[in-house]
Amino acid sequence: MAFKILTSRMVEAQVFPGQTLFSQRGAMLAYRGEVRFTPSITGGQRGVMGMIGRRVADEDTPLMTVEGQGTVMFGHGGHHVHVIDLAGDTLYVESDRLLAFDGSLRQGTMFMGSQGGVMGMVRGQVTGQGLFTTTLEGHGSAAVMAHGGVLELPIGPGRPVHVDPQAYVAHRGDVRNKLSTAIGWREMVGRGSGEAFQLELSGTGMVYVQASEEKL
Amino acid sequence: MNGPVVHDAWTLPVDDNINSYAFSVDLNGQWFLQRGKMVAYYGQIDFQGVGLGHLDHLIAHSFHSPLHAAEWVVAEGRGKMVLADRAFDVNSYDLDDGNLSIRSGNLLAFQPSLSLKQSIVPGFLTLIGTGKFVAASNGPVVFMEPPIRVDPQALVGWADCPTPCHHYDHAYLRGFLGGIRAHTGIGGASGEEHQFEFVGAGTVLLQSTEEVVAEISVGETGGTGS
Amino acid sequence: MLAVDLTGDSVKAKNGAMVAYEGEMTFKKKTGGGEGLRGMVTRRLTGEQMAVMEVKGHGTCYFADRASEINLVSLNGEKLYVEVGNLLCTDSALRTGTSFTGLRGSSQGNGLFTTTVEGTGQAALVSLGTAVVLRVTPQTPLQVDPGAYIAHTGGLEQHFQAGVNFRALIGESGGESFQIRFEGDGLVYVQPSERNTIGGEV
Repeated sequence: MAFKILTSRMVEAQVFPGQTLFSQRGAMLAYRGEVRFTPSITGGQRGVMGMIGRRVADEDTPLMTVEGQGTVMFGHGGHHVHVIDLAGDTLYVESDRLLAFDGSLRQGTMFMGSQGGVMGMVRGQVTGQGLFTTTLEGHGSAAVMAHGGVLELPIGPGRPVHVDPQAYVAHRGDVRNKLSTAIGWREMVGRGSGEAFQLELSGTGMVYVQASEEKL
Repeated sequence: MNGPVVHDAWTLPVDDNINSYAFSVDLNGQWFLQRGKMVAYYGQIDFQGVGLGHLDHLIAHSFHSPLHAAEWVVAEGRGKMVLADRAFDVNSYDLDDGNLSIRSGNLLAFQPSLSLKQSIVPGFLTLIGTGKFVAASNGPVVFMEPPIRVDPQALVGWADCPTPCHHYDHAYLRGFLGGIRAHTGIGGASGEEHQFEFVGAGTVLLQSTEEVVAEISVGETGGTGS
Repeated sequence: MLAVDLTGDSVKAKNGAMVAYEGEMTFKKKTGGGEGLRGMVTRRLTGEQMAVMEVKGHGTCYFADRASEINLVSLNGEKLYVEVGNLLCTDSALRTGTSFTGLRGSSQGNGLFTTTVEGTGQAALVSLGTAVVLRVTPQTPLQVDPGAYIAHTGGLEQHFQAGVNFRALIGESGGESFQIRFEGDGLVYVQPSERNTIGGEV
């Protein structure tokens, strides 16, 4: 089931009995029909892998379970919304950027040190955010938020992409992250103390970059 | 030169959008403007505060919101005015013997042929009559038909339908999870326990926002009014 | 977002404005926006601050600034006057400097000087919302909200107006009471935003 794009900042999703959606707290703008919104303590994935639930406890990005029958409109804070359709592959995304996603997607968490965790390291070190990055895997759609519009940059062999960590939104595919402090970049990008990093993504896949160096 | 379109005093649109964020009013007479929503103008235009006394007749006909008098001015004369509001999307709406209620912070300007009143719903203004008005929204406005329940933050306004009522999700508030939250503080609120519910025939206007457009509260201070 | 393709040439850009790049790039910090030492000294004196970097290489650079809209201005020898915060990047062939602008700074608190860009090439301006470009002719002077002004080109004179009837636009809390009146021949770039408007603080 896909999200229908209403405007650059609003998406619509159909909810049917037996299907679950997850959304960020406060992301529901309007709905029709009989739809229930329940805070999701476990993060929905009621298993050992439900790491998002642990994040919820200490990261203040609670998820809601959306169930019932009807139509729900999602948006948040006037941020731009970008819909990413997954066909069996894995999306790596910061959980606070997740607006809503299909319950059919398997949720997981990447720790520091492995893929995605690099972002966690940057964020953790730089912005005091958590050390996890959320993964979504399977068939379904996710709506992610960005400050400004979103640019999709393909990553190919011999064609790495360098991204300002503050502008990084998400990535997918077989991608390796490398955090580096390029000579020159440190002085250039260093507006504050923390932006002295650049993120190098290589492999095969796609990186989503927002049109702003401002964190959400 | 492949730069942007250059406008001048003649080529600026007549009562239409210049781009998503800017609107051009072709003034020949009077318009009501919310303070601070005009970024540039050409021509001979006078601005008078509402409530300064020069425009009693006009105000008696068109302006019935004493709580907002300090926020509005009357533009009078001939020229082109460029209206904008913090880079929010701007659109004009035509009312034909109709009524529309709108969040007070979103309304930028209206023609005096319309009459402005305070809505019963706090924070909203109602326009009645025939004429044009200009309003801002965070992102494009989405139009929906009732029945629908709307997060109060996302509501821009509504037209023609009956005044909305409150809807509370009692199943959640009184239910099992609510109890856990009350005892442990874990889980938080879903943030979706309360909506405005619209029923009947009409149109509901939505935007994606959480308190981005500042609003001026009305109807809450009670006694200040007429 | 602005994509700039480089094939060995370079661009000058606002520090921190690059969000991503592909290919091989080198970065060099420029000491000031102006012309060498003199430009630097001017900067120090005026308080106009624009940390500039030079990006050189082969590939594509992506620039953005707080989700603002980007407006490209092509210059053919003329001079662009731009508020320093609104200049995102320029062809390296364009010369940047500072110029005394009179009173505007005093109302905006931006300092009394503005940035100038001169030469032949393209400059990218950022604005909150797509900028509107308004032509001024001797017959049609233009009044602009100081908070919405971002740049202008051409032979324009600026005057400050605090007209009597204009006081009606001033909120009771005070704040801005000026408008800028442009006279002459030229183009004025206005952003559809009024953080600092005639109507005062929003």
